[in-house]
Amino acid sequence: MNRTLALLLGAIVIIAAALLPIWIGPFYTRVIQLFFFSAGLAIAWNILGGFSGYWSFGHTVFIGMGAFAAAHIAPNLGLIGTGPMSMLVAILLAGLFCGLFAAILAYPILRLRGIYFAIAMLGVSQVAGELVNNVGWFKGGIGVFLQTPLPAGMATEDFFYYIFGALLLLCFIISMAVRNSRFGYALLSIREDEDTAMMLGVATERYKIMAFVLSATLVGILGAVYGYSVGYFTTYTVFRLDLSLNLIVFCLIGGIGTLFGPIVGTAIMLFITQVLLSRFLDIHLLITGAIVVVIILLMPGGMIGALRKWRRPKERSSTVTAEASA
Amino acid sequence: MTLFLQTILNGLVLGGIYSLAAVGFSLVFGVLGIVNLTHGIFVIAGAYGALLLFKQFGIDPLVAIVPIGLVLFVTGYVYQRTIIQWAVSRASLVASLVVTFGVAMMARNGLQLVFGPDVHTITPAYSFMSVTFGPLRIDVVRIVALGASLVLLVVLALVLARTHFGRAIRATAQQPLAAELSGLNVRNLHGLTFGLGAAMAGASGAIIGIVQPFTASSEVAWTLNAFIVVVLGGIGSPAGALVGGLLLGLINALTAQYVGPSLTQAAMFLVLVLMLLVRPAGLLGNAFGESR
Repeated sequence: MNRTLALLLGAIVIIAAALLPIWIGPFYTRVIQLFFFSAGLAIAWNILGGFSGYWSFGHTVFIGMGAFAAAHIAPNLGLIGTGPMSMLVAILLAGLFCGLFAAILAYPILRLRGIYFAIAMLGVSQVAGELVNNVGWFKGGIGVFLQTPLPAGMATEDFFYYIFGALLLLCFIISMAVRNSRFGYALLSIREDEDTAMMLGVATERYKIMAFVLSATLVGILGAVYGYSVGYFTTYTVFRLDLSLNLIVFCLIGGIGTLFGPIVGTAIMLFITQVLLSRFLDIHLLITGAIVVVIILLMPGGMIGALRKWRRPKERSSTVTAEASA
Repeated sequence: MTLFLQTILNGLVLGGIYSLAAVGFSLVFGVLGIVNLTHGIFVIAGAYGALLLFKQFGIDPLVAIVPIGLVLFVTGYVYQRTIIQWAVSRASLVASLVVTFGVAMMARNGLQLVFGPDVHTITPAYSFMSVTFGPLRIDVVRIVALGASLVLLVVLALVLARTHFGRAIRATAQQPLAAELSGLNVRNLHGLTFGLGAAMAGASGAIIGIVQPFTASSEVAWTLNAFIVVVLGGIGSPAGALVGGLLLGLINALTAQYVGPSLTQAAMFLVLVLMLLVRPAGLLGNAFGESR
């Protein structure tokens, strides 16, 4: 596919997405809004987990931090007041805060590899969640309010539909830019063989930290907006273990380490759980689990990986579809 | 002073149970290199099994360990030889982590559908008795639980150290290829090890059922506990599991007593993260050396 065609297709998709809320009802606007949010998270996770092979099992820590940071920043902005500007500033500051936290956390925690890194991140998210819940100042236990400065005459779901849509686009563009840059290739080399990469002169430490911080910042921004979209939340609204794991499942189903994988995976999973099975809440876990197992056993490269293999059957696993070795 | 000693005692008793609940996980991690996220399911399945046998037939949970262990041994063996084996050979070792996670989700949902979301406990006749040592006081069930845990751990340690089967498992863990060249059926041994791990988990579940309340969703906590125990103590050995389990029990009890009962999870994970950074192989190291 050449460049012009891709750009044209992208523009069509964006325009269609922008016009969509006119035709579909509030329920589906919310479903798609959830899709934008989840896909954005999955892309952000994929920058670290997919490209560099560092699977984080605790990314929800940045969702929670972003949301709570925004909730504590927004009422204290002084001069900026409480208008739309305050929301933007609060969200950006929340993202910045998450990035900063990640930068500090990165030094010790990125020394761990594979499953140890994954579980340590899980530990970090649990500790952070418990602290937010139990230390009075954070107000995680009783919950915090985040008032959205809604533009006049706009429905809440439409407003957040566009914001999450724009954020998804932003995440995708960043992810694409990363993937096609020197930075992205460095991350791929870390995933394939970190020691060799280091020996060949790739500054693995720096690139890993950059990916970690970038991923955390994006997730923090998304978390802050999520905080605004729910309006009132407690610790367990945002520090959710299942959210951390869902991100991985989304990427896995679409294809870990690919550009479109996280989006495709999120779309499929949300379609199945939110649309097809919306009436069978009590077997959601069963279905999700079964899908995960079947995908791993039948198409370890995810949907995108399977598609590639089907189009080029002769080629044995190319570098992009190669399983993310952690 | 009495309070401190009592806390220590409670911690050690709790730790003994943690050790037994984690030793199967540790064995599977050490021998197969697989982080089995279904482990907590085996524990909770053991607890539900004991509950069922107790309610229906009045069988004491400690006696129920035998049938539960057998059933879970077979389940574990079949599970490893099919799903996990496929995942490892078709995808990767990391993919097996996600597969076990998927199976755990399904099993948790299944248990919830069968047994309902209610919290259960098993209450045999001796569950309300307690004994006192001077100023210290301890429930009989906890002594029984601790004793049973220690007995099972010792039996496992002896099996691994003294029997042909145990030697074969250790050989497989150290050098799968060399073990195979020496005529051992490595695939079969992997299945048996996994079954053994599942059986130990089920046995611990039957014991946990009489000490603590449980639901299907507490499986997550038991998987994480097992991981923390392994990181603290060291991979692959009953001794490592014992050291890690006792430490975890102490951390848990001391935090609950002196810092705040709601912060035990945070304290456990804090220790986990610190331990990973300082000495990721655990206090006793990997029982199977640098083979992997």
